[in-house]
Amino acid sequence: MDSLVVEAIGLRKSYGARLVLDSVTLRIRAGEIVGLLGPNGAGKTTSLLILATLLRPDAGELRIVGADPRRSAASIRRKLGFVPQSIALFPSLSPLQNLELFARVHGIAKRPARAVATRMLEIVGLTERARDPVAILSGGMKRRLNLAGAMVHSPELLLLDEPTTGVDPQSRERIFATVRQAAAAGAAVIYSTHYMEEAERLCDRVLLIDHGRLIADGTVGELIALGGTQARMEIAFQTEPPTGWLKGLRGISKLPTQSGVGKTVLALASLNQAGEVLERVHTSGAHVLEFSVYRPNLSDAFIALTGHALRDPEPQ
Amino acid sequence: MMLRAVFLIFQNEFRLLSKDRVGLFMLLLAPVVIIVVAGFSLGNLYGAHPRPHAWLIPIVDRDHGPVAQTMMQALAAEPSITTNRPANLAEARRVVLRDAHAAIAIEIPDGVSNMLKAGQTAHLIIYVDPTKRIEADAIELRLTTLCERISAAAGAAARVEIAAQGAAAQAQIDRMGQQMTALKARIEDYRQSVISAKSAAERNLKQQQNRQIADLQASTEAAVNRSMVAMRTAIASQLEPRERAIVAATDYLHQLGIARQQFQHWLLDLREAAGSHAKDIPPAPQWPAPPADLALLSEPFTLSLPPPSILNITRPPLPSIAMPPLPSINRLLPDLPTIKLLEGPAVPGQLGWSERSLTGGDARVNAFDQYVPGFGITFLLIGMLMGISLRLIEDRDWGTLQRLRVIGAPLTGMLIGKLLARFLVGLAQLTILFAIGWWLFDISLGRNPMALFLPAIAISFAAAAFGLVIACLARTHDSVMPIGAVFAMTMSAIGGCWWPLSFEPSWLRAFGLWMPTTWTMQAFNDLMIRNLAPSDILLASAATIGLGVLFAIIGLIGASRLYS
Repeated sequence: MDSLVVEAIGLRKSYGARLVLDSVTLRIRAGEIVGLLGPNGAGKTTSLLILATLLRPDAGELRIVGADPRRSAASIRRKLGFVPQSIALFPSLSPLQNLELFARVHGIAKRPARAVATRMLEIVGLTERARDPVAILSGGMKRRLNLAGAMVHSPELLLLDEPTTGVDPQSRERIFATVRQAAAAGAAVIYSTHYMEEAERLCDRVLLIDHGRLIADGTVGELIALGGTQARMEIAFQTEPPTGWLKGLRGISKLPTQSGVGKTVLALASLNQAGEVLERVHTSGAHVLEFSVYRPNLSDAFIALTGHALRDPEPQ
Repeated sequence: MMLRAVFLIFQNEFRLLSKDRVGLFMLLLAPVVIIVVAGFSLGNLYGAHPRPHAWLIPIVDRDHGPVAQTMMQALAAEPSITTNRPANLAEARRVVLRDAHAAIAIEIPDGVSNMLKAGQTAHLIIYVDPTKRIEADAIELRLTTLCERISAAAGAAARVEIAAQGAAAQAQIDRMGQQMTALKARIEDYRQSVISAKSAAERNLKQQQNRQIADLQASTEAAVNRSMVAMRTAIASQLEPRERAIVAATDYLHQLGIARQQFQHWLLDLREAAGSHAKDIPPAPQWPAPPADLALLSEPFTLSLPPPSILNITRPPLPSIAMPPLPSINRLLPDLPTIKLLEGPAVPGQLGWSERSLTGGDARVNAFDQYVPGFGITFLLIGMLMGISLRLIEDRDWGTLQRLRVIGAPLTGMLIGKLLARFLVGLAQLTILFAIGWWLFDISLGRNPMALFLPAIAISFAAAAFGLVIACLARTHDSVMPIGAVFAMTMSAIGGCWWPLSFEPSWLRAFGLWMPTTWTMQAFNDLMIRNLAPSDILLASAATIGLGVLFAIIGLIGASRLYS
């Protein structure tokens, strides 16, 4: 489990004058699920294409499954599975035919290829749709099949480029389960996403990437801590508490708010302090209309580290 | 509200169109390209760009007579025709097959001039390249007019000469008429004199004959009378003794009769008297012997008559008929004029032509021989656009190309696999189209139908490579059909898929040499229409494959850069 599957040092890549990767260094071990988290255009896909040996870095050292892709790209490709962002399937073929084709291209003989394809369809829950044309499957089914196509040869390195784009919750869970299963079998997984929640739920480790640079590398907790963000509590009062009502509560401070919001925002040292705050409100004679407690997350950490949000704000 | 919506949508459609480069390309540039190609290709056909000496006609002259000279002069006067004089038909055939301006060769057979002069119908032989059927028809139309003109000119000259000779002959005939009238009068006089002489002769002859017959009758009667008297005397002397013997015998027989009766009575009386002794009565006595003269009567009697006196009748000499003297024939007939029939020109015969195929096949062309391979190639190219260009871009856009590369399939291998598969599909497509053409439209499959596979294989390969080149040029899914269709249609038009190559001007044909469609159509035309041997299409097939290899190299290099 400690064997290093990917080792990249100082990777650089430019498209013309535009620098898309700048001195990216990372290491991935077998059995590890590593999230590559960043906004659109951060360099996630370029990183994956370099790791998939489809792009050559302009500079830097790279070893994948112990080999140098500049010399042994073919042997590396036989050991990695790549799930592109698009639905990389033949729409007029059935799921079974798609998976059989991918297995055959990997060098698996016809009969074993059929067996592998059938098994992968079971894993991703598409056995009943095995002979339908891919074109008529739902988006979630296609995504699952897209993932299965990268796993027919039990790769040592699994590269997933936003594999859950536009999928339903059921398919998302199935994809997560499949990825975990691959990791449990010893594969190193790099999971590119801009969904913070996915990274938090699935990944053992997260790499934050922005504008081609690796901002942070660590577990979810480590990154949140690295961002220095705290738990927050928002309270809407029916009757305002008296001035100085927080006096004596350690580690709790009032955060500035925009005028007219009508809420009080507090920074907490820990989530356990929420009870103390409510107790103090009660003793001060004020009445609470509603309150919320926010745990710090990767999004907060990302904002803290980069100064901007992980995703563009949702349209109003 | 409604008007506002109409206005905004109207405005927005133009904004969208201004940003749609593919749409603009299809709206304007694509039709302009096709119109230009078609216009230049068919310009000669419609006569929009008539050029002097557009058609070259090799003329093989075996006659060496005035017809050839007249024909050459007449053709030289045609502004759109030029001629040359190859040594033989084989050389003429090479000229027509090689030179796009030459659609036919003319052979003037030996003896054509003489036949025409003798008033017979003479034929030139036109050898047609069937692939240039329409040009040949146009030239043949002019040749027909030319032949009619030559025949008409010869006829007019002959008519003038005949008219002059006719006038001279008429004068002679008039003179003869007058002489014949005089002759008729003389002959009538002679006839009358002959009739008179004949009547006189007949009368004279009749009188002489009557006299001679009367003399002959008198002398004959006297001689017969004398002969009859002598005969009677001789017969009477010979019959006298016999008459006497007959009288004596008659008497004896009478007495014998009486005696016999007496004896019978006596015998009866005797027997009666004898009674029972009648049988003892002796036989009756013998009858007396007949007189000796009676025996004389039984001797053979020969009447000897004196020989008759022979009448010696001599034929009287025939009377001589005195005929009137006949006039001398030389005197009777005047000197007849001699009618000199001039060695007038015979009415010249008609000059025409008969048609043969230059290549030994049928001189008439089944239109489907042109259109089955032509449109087969067009749709082969379009099929390659869909099968290779679009599919390759889709594979790239869908990510399947990327995925397959990641899992170990080299890009070049995938491209070659696609080319190979589509090459076989294209070959099958052409094979089926030809089979349908043969079954439904009776297209010619040439001397050896298997030979058709050679250009079919070559163009299937070149078309597959063309599809790869278009995938590199178009780059996006939406651009493939507009760009590819323009290239496919241009190659089809210039390459002779839609009309015969010979319609096109020289510069366009030279441009077409860089297109596999041109070479392939040439090969199909050679096999199907010209009925040439498979060995004759090796160069065209090699050129197609060569261009296919060039396309494939360009396509593979381009695709390895664009799709890697």
